Amino acid sequence: MPSSPRRTSQTLRKAAPAYLFLTPWLLGLLGLTMGPTLISLYLSFTSFDLFQAPQWIGADNYLRIATADPNFMASMRVTFMFVVTAVPLKLCFALALAMILNRGISGLPVYRAIFYLPSLLGSSIAVAILWRQLFAGDGVVNGLLAPFGIQGPSWISDPRYSLWSLVLLSAWQFGSPMVIFLAGLRQIPTDLYEAASIDGATRLRKFVSITLPLLTPVIFFNFIVAMIDAFQSFTPAFVVSRGTGGPLNSTLFYALYIYREAFGFFHMGYASALAWVLLVIIAIFTAIAFLTSRFWVYYDA
Amino acid sequence: MLEPTSPERPARATRRPLASLIVHALLIATSFAMLYPLLWMLAASFKPQEEIFSSTSLIPQQFTLDGYVSGWSGLSVDFGRFFLNSLTISLLSIAGNLIACSLAAFAFARLQFPGRKPLFAILLLTMMLPYHVTLIPQYVMFFNLGWVNTLLPLIVPKFLAVDAFFIFMMVQFFRGIPHEIQEAAIIDGCNPLQVYWYAILPLSTPVLATAAIFTFIFTWDDFFGPLIYLSDVRKYTVSLGLRTFVDGTGISNWGAVFAMSCLALVPVLLLFLFFQRFLIQGIATTGIKR
Repeated sequence: MPSSPRRTSQTLRKAAPAYLFLTPWLLGLLGLTMGPTLISLYLSFTSFDLFQAPQWIGADNYLRIATADPNFMASMRVTFMFVVTAVPLKLCFALALAMILNRGISGLPVYRAIFYLPSLLGSSIAVAILWRQLFAGDGVVNGLLAPFGIQGPSWISDPRYSLWSLVLLSAWQFGSPMVIFLAGLRQIPTDLYEAASIDGATRLRKFVSITLPLLTPVIFFNFIVAMIDAFQSFTPAFVVSRGTGGPLNSTLFYALYIYREAFGFFHMGYASALAWVLLVIIAIFTAIAFLTSRFWVYYDA
Repeated sequence: MLEPTSPERPARATRRPLASLIVHALLIATSFAMLYPLLWMLAASFKPQEEIFSSTSLIPQQFTLDGYVSGWSGLSVDFGRFFLNSLTISLLSIAGNLIACSLAAFAFARLQFPGRKPLFAILLLTMMLPYHVTLIPQYVMFFNLGWVNTLLPLIVPKFLAVDAFFIFMMVQFFRGIPHEIQEAAIIDGCNPLQVYWYAILPLSTPVLATAAIFTFIFTWDDFFGPLIYLSDVRKYTVSLGLRTFVDGTGISNWGAVFAMSCLALVPVLLLFLFFQRFLIQGIATTGIKR
């Protein structure tokens, strides 16, 4: 369509105020998000220590990641282990408690508040410090086990258990997915349950045939959020291992590894490559989740 | 739910109180287990040093404020300074997020302009971007600007609406405000800025409050940002102060550590007590992370 001068000026007049409103965000988008994203892609092909100009080294960083970096493999293993255990555990707790609370129980707001509180406080470093003490050799967990005659190890300094104390910390924060599940459960029309009752369906049957399918969009959402969150987890591992990812790299979360490379050794180029690998991994997992969602996520037509 | 059919009713009536008793017992036990670590920490902050590790009890045998006294001035700079720094960052971040995000959200929700759809798609995309990808170039940029070891890298980005999530949240809310209000304002001669200020914002206090509360919690709890940007103890936030306590290999004064940890949680706890409604609704409707 040929645009008359009048039309152009009209469009401009329409666009001008909108873009004024968007100015701060656009500046941030260009200067703090898109620009840095492109620069970090460039840096990932360089050797860069922050003080001297980046040296182009081609795909060396990626080759090293793929073939010659035992720490990368260790951090991948730890992070995957964390994601595949912490996420389902957290969501199962969340769903179970939401189901119980949704049965018209009195005192619901109080229970909901109590279960939600750890989610709210859990991201604080204070809680990470507390966790480190709870699971220490002379910590509270072992103090609670002692009356049963169990002499617990130092959970956080034994590479066999150190990760599990962090999984537990994550599962402890099941409150916010629970609140989302509760909101989702409210949306399920009660007449479906009534019809099922009339047909003589058992409670389990109702859960499997009504609740679960109708809740799949919420499960999907919670799953994506919890997964992305778990992949990027940093503070608890940092505090519990005093920034080392130890013992024996057993808590070397991926984000912690990036931090160590970037700000411990000033391997800024290599850390950028690691960050891009993380981006690709998260993107792949999110894409898989979205692509498979049409087979298991039920959207009301 | 429908009442059970009549033949079932007597059986249910006798079973129900017991069933509900069991459920409540289970829920109370779970609640206690959930809160136990926090309560233990609170108790530990009032216990004398020798009692902390020997006891799993939630009631101090000997009540002392030593932890608070020695913790408050336990580092070369006292904790008041850290609280002040954290508060400065948090309050300015709230201002930044509320202003910049609501401006952008207003444009996306209420104005027609070329490029709206692709820009909104980009906005959604940036919400998924892991922060690690932008981290290093941002650091290099702030380093070259001479902003490292100042509070600026923790505050300025908020005024440029980098927390895209809040824009999204506000867009959802603004879209729900009846269009008649905006049209009436326009007929009365309001320009877009006046519509934003006089018609939309006054009706948006719930979403603004939710955004403010979550911004406060996120920045108050933020550890990674201060960790990489702040090195001068005088500029430390509460998170960094706490970390300094436990950084050494042997922690001598756990009472002080737990006392300051408890204090660090107080602001978030207060927000929770007074604004729980906003928090729960914010989570239930938008699925914000924490």
